Amino acid sequence: MAATRRSRRMAADILTYFVLVSMSLFCIGPIVWMFLTSLKLEADIVTQTMQYIPNRITFQNYVAIWTQSSFPVLIGNSFIVTLITVVVCLATGTLAAYAFSRYTFRGRNTLMLGYLVVRMFPAVMMIIPLYVVLRSVGLIDSRIGLALAYTSFLLPLFVWMLKGFFDAAPKELESAARIDGSTRFGAMLWIVIPLARNGLVASSVFIAIAAWNEFLFALMLTTGQGSRTWPVGLQLMVGEFQLPWGVLAAGGILSILPVMLMFALVQRVMVQGLTAGAIKG
Amino acid sequence: MATLSLQNVQKSYGGLQVLHGIDVELEDGGFLVLLGPSGCGKSTLLNLIAGLDDISAGDIRIDGRSVIELAPKDRNIAMVFQSYALYPTMTVERNIGFGLEMRGVNGNERSAAVKQAADLLQISHLLDRRPANLSGGQRQRVAMGRAIVRNPDLFLFDEPLSNLDAKLRAEMRTEIKRLHGRLGTSVVYVTHDQIEAMTLGTKVAVMKGGYIQQFADPQTIYEKPANIFVAGFIGSPSMNFVTGTLTSDGRIARFEASGVRVEIPSNSDEMFDARPAVLGIRPEELKVDDGESAMLTGTIDVVEPTGPDTMVTVRIGEQPIVARLPSRFSGKAGETVGLIAHVNSMSLFDYQTELRVPL
Repeated sequence: MAATRRSRRMAADILTYFVLVSMSLFCIGPIVWMFLTSLKLEADIVTQTMQYIPNRITFQNYVAIWTQSSFPVLIGNSFIVTLITVVVCLATGTLAAYAFSRYTFRGRNTLMLGYLVVRMFPAVMMIIPLYVVLRSVGLIDSRIGLALAYTSFLLPLFVWMLKGFFDAAPKELESAARIDGSTRFGAMLWIVIPLARNGLVASSVFIAIAAWNEFLFALMLTTGQGSRTWPVGLQLMVGEFQLPWGVLAAGGILSILPVMLMFALVQRVMVQGLTAGAIKG
Repeated sequence: MATLSLQNVQKSYGGLQVLHGIDVELEDGGFLVLLGPSGCGKSTLLNLIAGLDDISAGDIRIDGRSVIELAPKDRNIAMVFQSYALYPTMTVERNIGFGLEMRGVNGNERSAAVKQAADLLQISHLLDRRPANLSGGQRQRVAMGRAIVRNPDLFLFDEPLSNLDAKLRAEMRTEIKRLHGRLGTSVVYVTHDQIEAMTLGTKVAVMKGGYIQQFADPQTIYEKPANIFVAGFIGSPSMNFVTGTLTSDGRIARFEASGVRVEIPSNSDEMFDARPAVLGIRPEELKVDDGESAMLTGTIDVVEPTGPDTMVTVRIGEQPIVARLPSRFSGKAGETVGLIAHVNSMSLFDYQTELRVPL
């Protein structure tokens, strides 16, 4: 009896691990493949027989993309656009989320729902009106314009996420602070925000990654070198007669480095932020 | 130190009125207890006094000055919350000193004040810790330290002891009483625990459904409850109620029910004949008397010795009542027993309005 139960559990374990491992491979596979490709010589990439592990390693692709293309500019643009998006979201979204969490006012629920509805429309539908609006105010092909476009669909997400963290911070703490001599804003700044710190970091990283990787809006709303971000730039390197695989792979690896770095730095905080709902007093 | 005056205080949320014209006066250095079951509006009233919520109508005056237009920070009050509401990211020292910090008191003065408050509450050794590393009782003390350090006009306590275990609760209750005696600051104290209300308050306001049912000193509330709700809410075990009829010729009021016959001298000129009424007798006022003078006669249902006393449930007609009798009581279930009580300790209520019938 015990033996059957044990073997059944073993079978379940094996199945679980099989599924987990195959899913991990499915996710990590392309990245590993890209990394390996970035280390290969051009001649080793397109070959008669598939060559998985490069037998000659070169960093020439990295040197090439950094020195012989506009890649540094693209990365710089992406960085600036991401930074503006995060700053705008932090400044406005924190206040908005706090208001949604703490005040009751007419239209509050409708407004919150409206924020969600905005997220439900496909991006393609939003691009045309956004394009028209940005063009009329002269913000097409500018980094600020692109950041504002990102803000338009990332801010609702940010507010919804942050509202949850603010909701979890006990209201009595603010009451105490207000009696102790703070204004409402002071109580938010000194008491609530330090409490929701993990949530703020988690939400900001979420927004930053989304802005960093965004492709469609960047493709439509930027036309020139000056404001183009890396996903678009990389895509445009695919020429009609030429496909520089090694260089593209190197570009891809370089572009995901900041995301990985960000994750590594804030991983613990982020997991705490996303999982811990309540704050122990 | 200050007086507190609540004048026709009302509060509504949309169409829902939760406080219906509250009138309370608290003397300088007094201890007002707002007592009632959950949802009676007592915490809402406290929040209005604190300024955490806006009043819908009426006026709140602290030391004669209307405060309803003032922000909480400008009312010179201090509050202790049920959850203690200690700032989790700050040390105990900073928690206690936060109010002074916000008011721009300089570092040295602040440390001295914090130390003094901490000494008074015996928490000086905890100043470097964070709230997460404190026990419930310690947190409670820190919360009180935060309140007393500023030397406010008025202390507000929102069920401060309800998160503590029974032993600690009794200890802290004594501590609060001692602190109040020492500091002499006026206090408004919200609780649903009638023992806290009776032991601490100089004035008790019993609330239900957003109305004050009775506002008096604890002794009056205990001895002369204004209605059946107050009578039943105060006292443990709660007051016994027997339904019957009341007849009065203006000199003697006679209450009668199956197994009950009580005559109470009356000073009221009012006369009535077989008016439906409810007689209230506290369990601790009942004594055994099997003679002619027994006021209540019934059959013993259950005998529960608790150590110092014996709780005896007696069926009077169809109505069960509880008597708190001495531990040496030897009656057995099924036996017939007669009970008496002093007529001055009894209360009579109108059956319809549930209000006290003055005699």
